[in-house]
Amino acid sequence: MRNWKRDAVVAASLAALVGVSVGCGSSGGGRAADQPSGGDAGAKQGAGSNEKFKITIGMEGSGLPAPQDDLIKKALDEKLNIDIEMNMIQGFSDYMNQIKVRAAAGNLPDIFQVDLVALNDFAQKGLLLDLTPYLDTKLKTAKSFMTESLMKKGMVNGNYYAITRIADVAFSSFWIRKDWLENLNLSMPTNLDELYNVAKAFTEQDPDGNGKKDTYGFTGTELGAFSPIFGAYGTAGPGSTFLKDGKVVNAYYDPGLPEALQYIQRLISENLVDPQLMTNKGTMARDQAFQGKAGIIWAGWTDIAKQEFIEQYKTVNPKAEWVQLGPPKGPYGQYDSAFDSERPSRMLALPKSLEKQPEKLQRIFDLLNYISDKEGNRLVMYGIEGRHYNVVDGKIVLTEAMAKEGNYFHYYQLTGRPNEEYLPTKFPAEENYIKYALTLPRLQSIDSNILPPAGYSAADADRYAKEEIVKFIYGKRPLSEYPAFLKTMEDTFKYKLYVEEGQKRAKELGLVK
Amino acid sequence: MVRGWQDRLFNTGIYAIMAVVGLAAVVPMLYVAAVSVTPYAQVLKNGGYVLFPSEWTLAAYRKIFGTANLLQSFKVTLFITTVGTAINLLLTALTAYPLSRKALPHRNVFLFLVVFTMLFGGGLIPTYLVVKATGLLNTIWALIVPTAISSFNVLILKSFFEQLPEELFESARMDGASEALLLFRIVVPLSMPAFVTVGLFYGVGHWNQFFAAIMYLTDRSLLPLQVVVRDLLMQTIEQAENPENMVPTVTMQMAAVMVASLPVIIVYPFLQKHFTKGMLLGSIKG
Amino acid sequence: MKAHASETGTARMPSAERIARHVRLLWKFKALYVMLIPGMIYYLIYKYVPMYGVIIAFKDFDMLEGILRSDWADPWFKHFQRFFDSPYALELIRNTILISLYKLVFGTAPPIMLALVLNECRVRWYKSLVQTLSYMPHFLSWIIIYGIAIILLSQDSGIINRWIVEAGGKPIAFLTSTDWFRSVLVGTEVWQNLGWGAIIYLAAIAGIDPTLYEAARVDGASRMRMIWHITLPGIRHVIILLLILRLGHILDAGFEQIYIFYNIHVYPVADILDTWVFRTGLEQLNFSLASAVGLFKSAIGLLLVLGSNALAKRWGQNIW
Repeated sequence: MRNWKRDAVVAASLAALVGVSVGCGSSGGGRAADQPSGGDAGAKQGAGSNEKFKITIGMEGSGLPAPQDDLIKKALDEKLNIDIEMNMIQGFSDYMNQIKVRAAAGNLPDIFQVDLVALNDFAQKGLLLDLTPYLDTKLKTAKSFMTESLMKKGMVNGNYYAITRIADVAFSSFWIRKDWLENLNLSMPTNLDELYNVAKAFTEQDPDGNGKKDTYGFTGTELGAFSPIFGAYGTAGPGSTFLKDGKVVNAYYDPGLPEALQYIQRLISENLVDPQLMTNKGTMARDQAFQGKAGIIWAGWTDIAKQEFIEQYKTVNPKAEWVQLGPPKGPYGQYDSAFDSERPSRMLALPKSLEKQPEKLQRIFDLLNYISDKEGNRLVMYGIEGRHYNVVDGKIVLTEAMAKEGNYFHYYQLTGRPNEEYLPTKFPAEENYIKYALTLPRLQSIDSNILPPAGYSAADADRYAKEEIVKFIYGKRPLSEYPAFLKTMEDTFKYKLYVEEGQKRAKELGLVK
Repeated sequence: MVRGWQDRLFNTGIYAIMAVVGLAAVVPMLYVAAVSVTPYAQVLKNGGYVLFPSEWTLAAYRKIFGTANLLQSFKVTLFITTVGTAINLLLTALTAYPLSRKALPHRNVFLFLVVFTMLFGGGLIPTYLVVKATGLLNTIWALIVPTAISSFNVLILKSFFEQLPEELFESARMDGASEALLLFRIVVPLSMPAFVTVGLFYGVGHWNQFFAAIMYLTDRSLLPLQVVVRDLLMQTIEQAENPENMVPTVTMQMAAVMVASLPVIIVYPFLQKHFTKGMLLGSIKG
Repeated sequence: MKAHASETGTARMPSAERIARHVRLLWKFKALYVMLIPGMIYYLIYKYVPMYGVIIAFKDFDMLEGILRSDWADPWFKHFQRFFDSPYALELIRNTILISLYKLVFGTAPPIMLALVLNECRVRWYKSLVQTLSYMPHFLSWIIIYGIAIILLSQDSGIINRWIVEAGGKPIAFLTSTDWFRSVLVGTEVWQNLGWGAIIYLAAIAGIDPTLYEAARVDGASRMRMIWHITLPGIRHVIILLLILRLGHILDAGFEQIYIFYNIHVYPVADILDTWVFRTGLEQLNFSLASAVGLFKSAIGLLLVLGSNALAKRWGQNIW
C-alpha cells in the first residue's frame, strides 16, 4: 500500500510538472495582443501596396457557397486587391466558443462578430483595436453610413470599438385568420374587448366549420405571443426596459403590467390559448397556426407572408387567409411591442494586433468604406448588375438568379444596408406587409444596451421572474401577490441593481436627460 | 422434451418482447423517413406528422446533395472514420492489453492516470492551445489525434481481455510467444466481439464528429459531414433574424437526419457476424 | 499483488539492492511497457498537459495574460461561491443528482434485458432484424426526439392524450407538469439508448464459454435458470464497469436533452447544473465560473468512482 501511494504521488507530480512547464511555454505566448492574427498565414507583409492581403472575417451563420462560386467575394477581392476568407459558424454560442479560444490563443480573425458582452470584455482586456482615431479620417465613409448615434452603441469606456451594422427594422405584428372572422361574421378587433370576443369565438364557435372543437384563439411561443396586449397596457413584455415620455421604464414596475397579466390570465383560464404555448420551440407555433389550430398569432411577416408560406397554408386549407392585425387599443396605449430601432444588427470588431500591420489595416478600411459607399453597397445588397438585377426606369428589379443565388449576400453587408429601400426591393411581393409592419406604433426598447452589473445574476433573476409570471397567468399564483413578487426580486435577486444600471446606461447614451 | 411447452412459452415471450422493442424503435424512424419525402405542405395538412406518405418528393434530398461542400464533407468524414478508427483501435489495444495483465508492476498507477482523464480535463482553452502548439490547427488530423484514445474504450477492452483464461497466456508463453504476438495473434481475434464493439463506438463517434471541427478548423474543405448538414439546417432553436434566411422545413430536417445517419445504420448488420461465440473453445483445445 | 521485494518492516534491504531488484522486475515486463508508450504519450500531451487549465477555476481569468499569469481569484473560492450563492444552487444539485440517478436506476437494466432476450432468440434473421432496428433511435438528435415527444405527449393534441380522452380520462400534461417531466426525460433516454446500449452486452455474451450451457442443459436446467446462472455472471464484469463509470458522471444529467426539452413550467424539476451554467455563461464571458462548476462535478465524480470501485472489489470486479 505504501508503495502504491508513493507511486501515485510521484507520477502525478511528474505529470503536473511537465504539464506546467509545457503550459508555460505555450501560454508564454499568452500575450494575445502580441501575436499576429491567423489571417496572416500565407500573406506577405510586403513593402509595396500591391500585395493581395488575406482578410479573415469571422461571423455567425451559414449558407455561403464555396469560395469559387462566391460572386460577391470575387467582386470584392478584385476591386480591393484582397482575398477574403469567411470563417462562418452556425449557432451563436458555438461561434463564440471558437472566438473565445482564438482570442486566448492569439489568432483572432481580422474582422469578427461580437455581442455586447464580448465587446466589453475584449475591449477592456485590450484585445480590440480602438477605432476612434480612424473614424473621421480613414473610416469616414463607413462612419457616415453607419451614423454616429448607432456607433455610440459600440463604445466602451469612451472609445469606439465596434463596426455597428445598421439596425434592423421591425417585422412583427398580430396575424389573424380573416376567413374565420368572415365565417363567424366578426370584424377585425380594434381594442382589447373586441380581441377577447374574437378569441372566444375562435375557440368556441368552430370557425373552420369542421364540427370539431379543435381551435384556439391564440398561439405563439411563450410570452412573446402577447406582445401587443402588453402594448395595450402601455408597457412591454416582462423584463424589458424601454423609454416612455422621455423616461426609462422597467416593465416589472410599470403599473400596466399586472393589469396586462390579468387580461392574459383570463384568456388562459377560459382556454382561449393554445396549451402548448410554453413548449413551442422554433417554428412550431407557426406550423400549428398553419395547420389551423389557432386564429391569432404574433409573428414577423418573414414567417407568414413569404410566397412559400402562403402556398403552404393554402395547401392545408385553400380558403385560409392570414392578414396583419394592428395592435389593440387598451387603457394605457396601443403598441405592437417594444423594439430597439437603434440596435446594431451586428457588431464587428478588429483585433488590436492589426495595429502592427498598417497596410492590411488600410485594406480593411478600404473594404468597409467601399461597401458603405454607393457602388459597393449596391454590390452587397443586390449582387451583380445584369445577373441578379436590372435597372428598369431607375428602379431595381431582381432577376430569378437572385432568388437562387442571392441568399448569402447579406453576410457581406458588414456595415449594413438602408432597410427602407432594400426590403421592398428585395421582397417586392411582400412590400405591403413590410410597410405595414414598419409603421406600427412601438415602444423604444433599450434592453440591448444594458449589461448586467456586478453582483447581479441575470440568469437567476430571469428564471425566477419567468416562473412567477407564468404562475400568475396560469392562475397558480394570485395576482394580488404581485407586489410580493417584486419584493422577492429585489431582496433575493437584487433586481434593483439591474434597474439602476438601465438608468445609468440610458443617460450615458444620451437617450434621456 | 419434457421441457417442450416451457420452451415454447419462453420463446413466445421472447419474440413478443422483441416485436415491441422493434416497433418502438422503427416507427419513429419510419416517421422521419416518411416526412423526409413528403412535401412540407402535406405534412402540415396531415396534422404535422406522416407515417405513410401520400405524396412524394425528393426535393429535400436534392437540395441537400446540391449543397456546396456536401460531397467533400462526405469524403472527409469517410476518411476520419476509417483512418481515425484504425488508429483508435491500435492505440487502444496497445494501451488496454498491458493494463489487463494483473502482474504488471505499477499497473494501478497507469490505470489511475487513464481513469482520471475521464473525470478531469483542462477545458477548451488549454486543449486548443496544445492542439495549436502541436501544429494540428486547421488540419484534418485535428479531428483524429486529440481524441485518439478514449479511456472509456480502454477500460472496456481491458475488461474483456481480463476475461480470457490465464492458461491461454501461460501455454503461449511456454511456446515462446512474445507479448506482441500474444496480443495480435491470439488476444485480439479472441476478443473480436469487444473489438468490433469498440470499433463501432469509435467509428460512430468519428461519424458524428462536429464540435472539434468547429473548434479547430477554419478551412471549409476540411469540414466533416455533420457540420455541413447542421449548417444547412440552422438547427438552432432560436428564430431566424435575417429575413433572407430560409428557415428549413421539417421535411428538410428529416432528410438531413437520414443523410447523416443512414450510412452508419447500414454498416452495423455487416458487423454482427463477428459476434459469434465459441472461438474461445477452439483455441483452448488447440 | 505486487512482486516487489517484500517489506517485513523489520529487515530493510540496502536501497541500491532494492532498486536493482525493482529494475530487474520492470525489465521483465519491458514488452508491456513499450506497448504502453504510445498511449502514454498521447495522454501526456493531449490530456495531462492541458490539465493546468483547471486552475482557471481559481483565477480571474484574463485572456490577455493567459491562464498562468491571470490574477488569483480573491477569495480563491470566489467562482465556486458564485454558484453556491445562487438561490437555486441546492435545487440544481438536487435535480442533477435525482435525474441522473433515475436514469441510472431505470436505464441500466433495459439494455441488459434486451441483450439477454436477443441472445435467447434462436431465429437468426429475426434477431438480426430487431437488433438493427433497436439501435436506430440512438442516431436521432434530441431535437427530432422532442418533435416526436410533442406529437405523442402534448396535452391537447398528443396521440396518447387523445387515447386517454377517448377512454374517458383527463389529459395528462406530460411535458409541462412537474410530476411527469422527469419521467419523460428518463423514458425518452432509455428508449433512445436501449438498442445501442445492448450492443456491448451482446459482445460480452459472445465471450461466454458455450460448454457451460451444454453442461447446464444436460443437467436439466431451464432457460431462465441458465440466464441467471451463466449468462448474467458472464457479463457481470461489463455491468459493473459501466455502473462505476456512470457513477463518475453522476453530475452530468444530460445537458443537451434537457436544454431542448425543458420549459418554464418545469424549471423547478428540470434545471440542472449544466443548464444553469449555460444560461449564466451567456451573460458574461466567464470561463472561471464554468471551470469551477466543472471542477466541482469532477471532484464529486472522482469520489464516487473511488468509492464504487472499492465496493466492486467485493465481487472482484474492481477496475484497480
